[in-house]
Amino acid sequence: MANTDITKEEIQAVFPKVAETMADALGCDVEDVKLDVSLIEGLDAESIDFLDMVFRLERAFKVKIPRGKIIENARGDMPEAEFEQKGVLTEAGLAQLRRYLSEIPPERFANPMKVADIPRLFTPETFCKLVIHAQREAPAPA
Amino acid sequence: MSDHFAAFSFVDRITAIEPGVRGRAVFAVPGSIAVFPACLVAEAVGQLAAWIAMARIDFRGRPVAALATETIFHGEVAPGSRLELEVGIESCDDDAVAYSGAARVAGVQAIELKHCLGPMLPVQEFDAPEAMRERFELLCTAGAPGERFHGVPVPRLVGLDGVAGKSARALLQVPRFAPFFADHFPRRPVFPATLLLDSQIRLALDLARVAIGAAATAPLTPRRMTHVKMRSFIAPGQEVVLGAEFVAADADAVNLRLSASTAGRVVATARLDVGAGTV
Repeated sequence: MANTDITKEEIQAVFPKVAETMADALGCDVEDVKLDVSLIEGLDAESIDFLDMVFRLERAFKVKIPRGKIIENARGDMPEAEFEQKGVLTEAGLAQLRRYLSEIPPERFANPMKVADIPRLFTPETFCKLVIHAQREAPAPA
Repeated sequence: MSDHFAAFSFVDRITAIEPGVRGRAVFAVPGSIAVFPACLVAEAVGQLAAWIAMARIDFRGRPVAALATETIFHGEVAPGSRLELEVGIESCDDDAVAYSGAARVAGVQAIELKHCLGPMLPVQEFDAPEAMRERFELLCTAGAPGERFHGVPVPRLVGLDGVAGKSARALLQVPRFAPFFADHFPRRPVFPATLLLDSQIRLALDLARVAIGAAATAPLTPRRMTHVKMRSFIAPGQEVVLGAEFVAADADAVNLRLSASTAGRVVATARLDVGAGTV
C-alpha cells in the first residue's frame, strides 16, 4: 500500500499519541519527538527501540503492526531481486522506497543506498503512517 | 549431573498447554538453597513463555529477553516453595513472542509480568534443536527431576562513584566461568538478563536507602519495574558498569532510573519503584 494516500489531517490526528508513546519508549521528552526528526540520528534510537515503539504503539492504538516489516512493506509486490542486489537498492528499489517514504525529503535518500541504512530514514511520521495503515486494515468492530 | 537444563532452568513440568496461546507449569524451588531472588521468579515465567513459543514455531527459533513493560513484585519466594507459573501469549511468530504471565505460591501471587517481548533468534545458535524438543516432551509428560538448581553466586558490586542519594555507579564483574553458562546457553553462553537486573536492583536499593535517609537495617524492597530494555548480550567475563539515578520519591515509593553499560555502550535500561517494608 502506498503511503501517499494518507492525509496530513490523519497524521496530525494520531501524532500526539505516537509522540507520547515514542517518548516513553526512548526515554526522551515528548517535545523532542518532532514529526520529521530522524529517529536514529536525532533521537539515538537503536533497533531494539524500533521493536519497543511498535510494541507500544500496538497497545496504545489497539492495532496489529507487523514487526520489522517496514522494509518489506516498502518493497510491496516488487520482487526482491528487483528491489535490491547484494544489500544495495536498485534504481527501481530506490524509487519504490521514495514513494513509500514520501514524507522523507529527497535529499535524505543516498544513492546508492544500502538496505541496512533504510531505518536511518525513519521518522515519527513513518510510524504515524504505520499506525494509520494498521487502523485501516483492522477489522471493523462487530 | 550435567548443568544443561539444570543450572539455570526453572520449569519442572508443564501442566497445561494450549500451543501458542497459554500454558501453566510448576517449579519446585529447592529447599537447600539460601535464597531465590525475585528476578529468578521472573525468569521462571519467561522460560515457560519461551517453551510455549518455541513449540509454537517448531523450535526454529528461541526468544531472548528484550522488553518487559511492567513487572510487579508481590511477595518473596522462600526456598522450598512450589512455584505455579502461568503465561498468556499475546502474539507469537518466527520474529518474536509477546506475553504476559505470573507466578504464584500456594495460590498467592508472587510476581506479575505484563507485556514482555522477546525477539526470536535461530535456536541452533544457542542449543541443539533436537535436545530442546526432547526436553519439551519431557516437561510436558513426566517432568524434569527436581533439585536440579543449586543457586547462583551473587556477584559482588564494586562501588565506582556517585552523588549521595542522587546517583550511584558500581562495577559488576561477570564471572568468566559459572555453571549457569552451560545452561544459558550451551552453544553461546550469555549472562542472564535477570541476573543483571538482580544486581541492578541491589545497587538501586542501596541508593534508595540513602535517598530517603532509611537506616541501613530498614527493609526496602523492589515493588515495580518498568521499561526494561535489553539492548545487547553480555558475555562471560565482561565488565559491566551499573548506574542508578534517583528520579523522585513520594510516601509510598522511590523511583529510580537504572542502566548498564559495557565498554561505554548502554546494554540495558530500566526503571524501578522501591518501597519501604517487605512485600
